[in-house]
Amino acid sequence: MNRGTQVVICRVCSEGAGLLDVDKLARVASDAPGVCSTVVVERACNKKTVLEIVDDAMAKEADRLLVAPCSKKEISPALFQTYAKKAKMNEFLMEAVDIIGEVTLPHRDDPTRVQPKAEAKLRSAIVRINMLEPLQRTEERMRTSNVVVIGAGAAGIEAASVASAFGLHTVIIEKSEKKIDAPGVVMPKSRLISAKGHAGNYILTIEVGEKRETLECAAIVVASGGDWREAKGPIVDELQVAKPLHHLEQEIGEGRLPGGAIIILDTPDPKGIRTPAQDFMWEEALHCATHIRRKSPTTEVYLVFQEMRAMGLAEFDYKEASELGVKFIRYDSKKPPKVDTKNGTRLIVTDMAQEETLSLAFDTLYYASVAPNPDNAAIAVALRIPISSSGGIRRGSIQRGPVATPRPGIFVCGTAKFPKSREVARLEGKAAGLMAAQFAAAGKWEFGGSVAEVTSDKCSACLTCVRTCPYEAPFIGIAGKAEIAIQMCQGCGICAGICPSKAIELHNYTDDQLSAETAAYLGGDF
Amino acid sequence: MKVLVIGGGPAGLTAAGTLASNGLEVALVERDYTLGGMAKELTCKGITECRDCGVCFAIDRAAEAVRTPGIEVFLSSEITSLEKTNEGFKAKIRSSARFVTHNCIGCNNCVEVCPVEGKAIFAPSGSGQPRTYWIDRKRCLHFKKSKCEECAKACPTKAIDFSDRAKNVTRTVSKVVLATGIEPFDAQELPRLACGTTSDVISSVDAERIINEEGRLKRPSDGVVPKTVAMIQCVGSRNEKTGIGYCSKFCCKYGTKIAQLIMEGSPEMDLDFYFMDLRTLYEPQEDFKKWAVAMKRKVEKKKVPRVRLIRCMPSLAYPGEDGKIWLRSSGETDAEVMETPYDMVILSVGMRPRGVPEDIASRLGLAFDDNGFARCQDEEGDPVVIVLGAMSEPMDIEETVTRAMAAAATPRKEAGE
Amino acid sequence: MADAKPKIVGFCCEKHGTESVDLAIRSGEQYDASVRLVTVPCTGRVDGLHILKALEDGADAVFVLGCLEKNCYYDTGSIEGRKRVEYVRTMLSEVGIEPERVEMFNASSTMVWKFPEIASTMSQTARRLGPIEPRGDTK
Repeated sequence: MNRGTQVVICRVCSEGAGLLDVDKLARVASDAPGVCSTVVVERACNKKTVLEIVDDAMAKEADRLLVAPCSKKEISPALFQTYAKKAKMNEFLMEAVDIIGEVTLPHRDDPTRVQPKAEAKLRSAIVRINMLEPLQRTEERMRTSNVVVIGAGAAGIEAASVASAFGLHTVIIEKSEKKIDAPGVVMPKSRLISAKGHAGNYILTIEVGEKRETLECAAIVVASGGDWREAKGPIVDELQVAKPLHHLEQEIGEGRLPGGAIIILDTPDPKGIRTPAQDFMWEEALHCATHIRRKSPTTEVYLVFQEMRAMGLAEFDYKEASELGVKFIRYDSKKPPKVDTKNGTRLIVTDMAQEETLSLAFDTLYYASVAPNPDNAAIAVALRIPISSSGGIRRGSIQRGPVATPRPGIFVCGTAKFPKSREVARLEGKAAGLMAAQFAAAGKWEFGGSVAEVTSDKCSACLTCVRTCPYEAPFIGIAGKAEIAIQMCQGCGICAGICPSKAIELHNYTDDQLSAETAAYLGGDF
Repeated sequence: MKVLVIGGGPAGLTAAGTLASNGLEVALVERDYTLGGMAKELTCKGITECRDCGVCFAIDRAAEAVRTPGIEVFLSSEITSLEKTNEGFKAKIRSSARFVTHNCIGCNNCVEVCPVEGKAIFAPSGSGQPRTYWIDRKRCLHFKKSKCEECAKACPTKAIDFSDRAKNVTRTVSKVVLATGIEPFDAQELPRLACGTTSDVISSVDAERIINEEGRLKRPSDGVVPKTVAMIQCVGSRNEKTGIGYCSKFCCKYGTKIAQLIMEGSPEMDLDFYFMDLRTLYEPQEDFKKWAVAMKRKVEKKKVPRVRLIRCMPSLAYPGEDGKIWLRSSGETDAEVMETPYDMVILSVGMRPRGVPEDIASRLGLAFDDNGFARCQDEEGDPVVIVLGAMSEPMDIEETVTRAMAAAATPRKEAGE
Repeated sequence: MADAKPKIVGFCCEKHGTESVDLAIRSGEQYDASVRLVTVPCTGRVDGLHILKALEDGADAVFVLGCLEKNCYYDTGSIEGRKRVEYVRTMLSEVGIEPERVEMFNASSTMVWKFPEIASTMSQTARRLGPIEPRGDTK
């Protein structure tokens, strides 16, 4: 195979708008350097035509293909598959130039410029494809089919269940000693210390009790949840009778009712300095309040809050609670409720609906907020995933889905993202378990192709690439220069764009290739 | 075996995509002429930074669905009958004629040349995918005496096909996923808020449509960007008279993001945000309040607030003689009543679940609560019928997507393959 | 000095950048034919060098179009792209070239109106400012 480009132009799609002269376009192609064959066909997306043009490519010894005038995703994949199989053409040397989308469609109002612009676009696409290199994708076998789930809460257990149903081996790492009923292996009293490796082959260091162990896995689900104990604030500091809401849930679950008047407060920190008010406990708070009023209609129950966040169908729970005599008191964070222990135990709160300051006598106060898990920061650092502004784990771009982190193979779900009801946390766990399972079930991690590469001589080891890459692909190798771990490279080119020494190039998007394409396009006079 | 997904909105699209990625074949049936559901009518809420509204996720899945080999997409289609069989269900799908083939590239030439007043050929709604146009047979002159063919002549890819006819096909499926979604509350049901009688009082859905088409919030009456805007939350929702006693769950989230979008896009705009309770879903309630406090404008040497958060449901909206829209509201303690003028008023409307035809509902064994939300009665083990999305309970796009992924999280072998 | 046929280059990311262009043109939108689009995998790939070379090779204005920040398919790519554009604008101001010739934009795959507005803005800027005046000591 020689180095030569075959240009294929489809007449039907090109001429439809009546603005393109296909034969002239074909002459531009055949006159361009590096083009060994120009073929004009009626429609390339046609089995018989594909066989004809691939034969032509082989006869002319073309090693690369450029199809006009539509975009690559509109062309039947069978065409590229045939070229790859029969003509042994490298997949990275097959391109399409979207003349319809970039020239014909948007410039119908300016028809005299369509032909010259189409020619310039074609020329620049030919310049580009001539400069491309054949690239190889490769794959690495996943050494294990383990899915590690961090946290055995509502979300974590669901994630493990789904992954297990996909035939994967699940390991749940849980920091407490609580009894856990879940598939696979469960490691209580365990914490993630650090993680090495990359998607498909992660190597985790886990602290189990006093010892440290190594655990390899293909995918990770972070379901670290929240922590009641971390919900701190002045109300809790001052009161011994302040408890988290789940204590009330437990008591009710065990058939007990708290004695005396109850206040359920949205947050122990009304000014929101240490623990911002969260919303998920509203359904649970309303259920508890309703239950108490039903069983003991003379017990005073107060719900004290900044915003009444009973969302969706929980609005009906609000209505029911209100009809049963639960008292709802809204305060403003500028006039936060205060504890008064001089006259028995009282909460001094200014009710905004009446603008009256009330002094509520109570026996127990429950606060309904959950603070982020303090381990989230350590987990985020270990896995190199981002923390959100509210102390949870931030999911990546929504383009990748609701439970994906920016790092391939690592997913996040439940209260670890943001506090939510147990039901929704479970569903997120399932979704994350699904994504982790699909990832790990592939058994191999594909990478390579259009990846970045460092030219060591130019590298000044400034560490800029190491600090900027979202995927931790660049590292300083034993030669003291930057290298790219291609298993982690996603081909975005951020490192290539930022390197101050111009030591990094992204294959098939190199500086020379981009500049040549741009210059050729600018060269067109239209 | 195939899975039938009824509804091509965020729930149906996510379910179809997830099922296909697990190796299952899917028949996706959508009533409208394009995919995207409610999400295609909504706008992206970001300018430079993403505000996590979830709309683009649905649109991206729509674009993907038409390119996924395992998903058979039926547009302008309905289920005409559903029969229970030993393996699952037998579904009859009727696809109405749209008279435009998939050669359509969305160039809009046809619309430009269509001689009918108000047009007879239309672009796909909002930002729906695929971008294939469609003809309304009832309006089209070709089907009346004139045999007009202007659009066909103007079409660069010969995509107009007047010989198109309704098609009926049958599909045998092992599972049915129902995700027919929601309808926005029609603000005209609350005449006291003047929607429908005053052109510059519009629903949030219409506001999003305007922003998605024009790039800015513009008054319907004169196309000018308003300087003073009022947004009213909870319109229709939490209201016994409308029958929507529940909270629609997503309106505060979307409403606050629309507020941020229009305020950041128009530095001269001031906003009054009327609300009852601030229910920014899965996001800290303080963030919006902090943003509101930070939005200030320099007037002479002072910093003047541009946003006011007013905890009140206005009782009346009426056009004033000055051409402005006046809102009657009270302070939080109801002690005083205020009348405030605005250039434009946006009503954040709630939603109702879209109904399901009775025969289909009974074949699928659906139960409906008093609000019209559907649940499948038989939820044991590996269900054969799955109800997804906001037709089952109020939820926003991100929660819809999560639930759809969770529901579709069964590997091929368990799904009776 | 208005240039009848200015030259504008737009570096678009292959995710929401080109998808927003695609959505616009498949809704019948038209834009100035002077705009030449070059696809990059992510706007983070764009180096100040590419922008400057484009200006050197005859472009009157250059823009970079990427996904919305925090929604970049490659996480921080469009944030990096913006930093690069800001750096180039600073450099241009320092050598006496109008910084508004170079601009960064963000879009999502649902915005029909955005790309035509971008093309129009850059086209108007290019026409208003005309070609870059060569300095006396360069050729």
